[in-house]
Amino acid sequence: MSLSCLRNVARCNMVKVSPSSVFLSKLRGPCAEREVYTSSTQHAVVTQQNTKPDWNRAVSEAEKIVGYPTSFLSLRWVLSDEIANVALHLRKLVGSNHPLLKTAKNLIYNGKNNMQAWGLIVLLVSKAAGHSPEIPDMEQDKAAGVLHSQRALAEVTEMIRTSHLVHKGLVNMNAPKIGPGDPDDMMFGNKIALLGGDYLLANSCSELANLRNQELVELMSSAVRDLAEAEFLGERDEQNNPLPSRPLPEEQREAASEWECVLQPLPMNGVRGCARREWVARHVLAAGALLGKSCSAALKLAGHASALQTQGYLFGCHLALAWQAFLDLEAFSGPEPRSFSLVGAPLAFTLQARPQLYELIEQGRRSVHDVDYHALYQAVLEGDGIEQTKQLQREHISTACEVLDSFPNCDARTALANIIVAMHP
Amino acid sequence: MACLSPSRLCARVQDKLLCQFGHKVRRQTVFVKLKPPGPTPLRIFGKTCQRVTTCGAACGSGGVGPAAAGAVRRLASSLQSTSTGSLPDYGTQIVDPYRLLEDDLNGIYEDIRSELERNTNQAELNTIATYYFDGQGKALRPMVAILMARAVNYHVYGENSALLPSQRQVAMISEMIHSASLIHDDVIDQSDFRRGKPSVNVLWNHKKVAMAGDFILAVASMMIARLRSDEVTLVLSQVVTDLVQGEFMQLGSKETENERFAHYLTKTYRKTASLIANSVKAVALLSGADEATCELAFQYGRNLGLSFQLVDDLLDFVSSAQAMGKPTAADLRLGLATAPVLFACEKYPELNPMIMRRFQEAGDVEKAFELVHQSRGLEQTRFLARKHGLQAARLAAELADSPYQKALAVTTDLVLNRIK
Repeated sequence: MSLSCLRNVARCNMVKVSPSSVFLSKLRGPCAEREVYTSSTQHAVVTQQNTKPDWNRAVSEAEKIVGYPTSFLSLRWVLSDEIANVALHLRKLVGSNHPLLKTAKNLIYNGKNNMQAWGLIVLLVSKAAGHSPEIPDMEQDKAAGVLHSQRALAEVTEMIRTSHLVHKGLVNMNAPKIGPGDPDDMMFGNKIALLGGDYLLANSCSELANLRNQELVELMSSAVRDLAEAEFLGERDEQNNPLPSRPLPEEQREAASEWECVLQPLPMNGVRGCARREWVARHVLAAGALLGKSCSAALKLAGHASALQTQGYLFGCHLALAWQAFLDLEAFSGPEPRSFSLVGAPLAFTLQARPQLYELIEQGRRSVHDVDYHALYQAVLEGDGIEQTKQLQREHISTACEVLDSFPNCDARTALANIIVAMHP
Repeated sequence: MACLSPSRLCARVQDKLLCQFGHKVRRQTVFVKLKPPGPTPLRIFGKTCQRVTTCGAACGSGGVGPAAAGAVRRLASSLQSTSTGSLPDYGTQIVDPYRLLEDDLNGIYEDIRSELERNTNQAELNTIATYYFDGQGKALRPMVAILMARAVNYHVYGENSALLPSQRQVAMISEMIHSASLIHDDVIDQSDFRRGKPSVNVLWNHKKVAMAGDFILAVASMMIARLRSDEVTLVLSQVVTDLVQGEFMQLGSKETENERFAHYLTKTYRKTASLIANSVKAVALLSGADEATCELAFQYGRNLGLSFQLVDDLLDFVSSAQAMGKPTAADLRLGLATAPVLFACEKYPELNPMIMRRFQEAGDVEKAFELVHQSRGLEQTRFLARKHGLQAARLAAELADSPYQKALAVTTDLVLNRIK
């Protein structure tokens, strides 16, 4: 598929070699003991010593391990009537300010937070865990070492995630002020975004149904529900951009409860006003649940015991959280950005330490763009929010790595470890 | 209530041969559980009869004389503008399906609401998601699903068959999928009113509304999965795909008249009929009926759904905004050419360019509206709706004779003769 070739070319150009040798010694947890960058496996020669493992390279090497790229922008999709329709209508939107354009660009542009990697992780987990010998040959993709059903599942994961992103990119036309842009364009963009997202969601429904495994359908549907719930957590501006809740002093917080059954909705007690819990809940709903449930479902398809399925869930969920912490930290690792996430972990910890800063957040009640980002940026740099976020990320990485250790040593496991290392602070 | 009661009574009239309106009715009627006479919610003919004036008059006359077997039909024909014609008598009694299924339908909205509530800890999500499950809808889809379930169960297992809990779940799911699509439609079409109250997009943030639609679909999918039937999941997932493809078809239009009509019918199947057809197929599958019966159920639903939508498109031209609970000529305003317009094209080719530009130019909507009324478009639409209704009734007649089977035929009549 030409598109994916293009992406790979672009990716090679983007590979940057970091001079600093952030090295394995920094990795806490069981993964540190293991030689991550052994060149013993045929594919996974990822980096040479002394170079920081690069994200893009880790991902593109991993893609080779599980066969062709997992991108759902495959021929089938390009040839579909509906997608052609959407593409046609998208062209009408060029020049307008509709956020759908940005979403579409992000889908094709291969940045660090590309969602293509989600399906990839599902496939890598599938391959790393192997499958029960009882599964007939017909259902296996021998060359790649994954089941056809697992590949379909990986596609479903990507579709669900993309659908959610596309729906998130709607413009609220109900706000007193809808920002720049022609209202007709905005309405049309909303229509296309809504239908496009629905199309992906509907396709994921029928793909799931084709797997003929009802427990799996239930689990994955609950992930769709979690994503929808995520958009309602906490305070929002008029465009539904999230704002952190006012930090509560410790004695005023409720007791938190565990999420014992992932088919039930995530309990919300004790979440608001507690930086860490709120961050975790927000990103479990928005990301962790889907990746975790997908990994768990992949293991279910392979016929693994439910104990291992649970481990799969934990791996996916903690990996997603580590990933999110990594993204949150990025805003504070380069030159000062014009804006950054107001619900990122560094800011959340900073607000908790200095509750009076919440006044700055309140300026964003109408729109997050009204916030004084510079003042918040300075406040984060002055406090220990960044350090706490790194600690948070290390904890999630180490939990994910513990699960990884229970898989047999193979190229897929190495590739997963490399992806984890690539986002290490 | 007043509207339906003559028909309900006339069912008993036929049983007992003597009965006067308003008098105490003997309680041995076979199908219909009797309630003390008095106002009960009137579903398909409008919330309250008084609001629809033509209807009120017809009911009044029905109350004076002894009720006759064709009261429903007379009532319908008295509604000149909307009458879709009458169907032959498929059985001896006319059964009000809503009355017949009163116990099964009772609390169905509450059950949906509590299912949704169980699935979220976010108060606002719960508010938006449950907004349209206020019991004010016609609940046509759940009604048809349960009716078919009972009719097929009767067909397969005989008199002592009962409604399976899983079949009632399908009835709930069908209404949930329907509402999820309504919620997304509201955001797309920017409608102001639905079911006589402000629509969701007027009240809440559009992003949240879109998410609430996804949420309802997700909860419905979980309910489907819990039925643990591969076949049912496949059948119902087809509905969701059809709905979206139907929406996409609505975005485009075809050049030639022939293509256009086929396009319209396929779109109508996907947007409306598929949900009804596949949910009645699902209940038939759950009852363990053979393939032929499942297919019969599917075809019944398909025809009923087509007939329903054709009448809907017709009502958009003839009904008053008040009766519909939403503005009329709404389709034209949205740029959609429905059956009446497509038929009118034959006589007035000047409609063609208007269709192609989606009635966007000033005066297009009014002009098209006028031309449709001057043409035979409404009549032809009515005819087509009736054809599908008849076909559905004919299919229903193939099932074993039971009150439910009869009510299936009555439902086709209700759909054809509704005024909202």
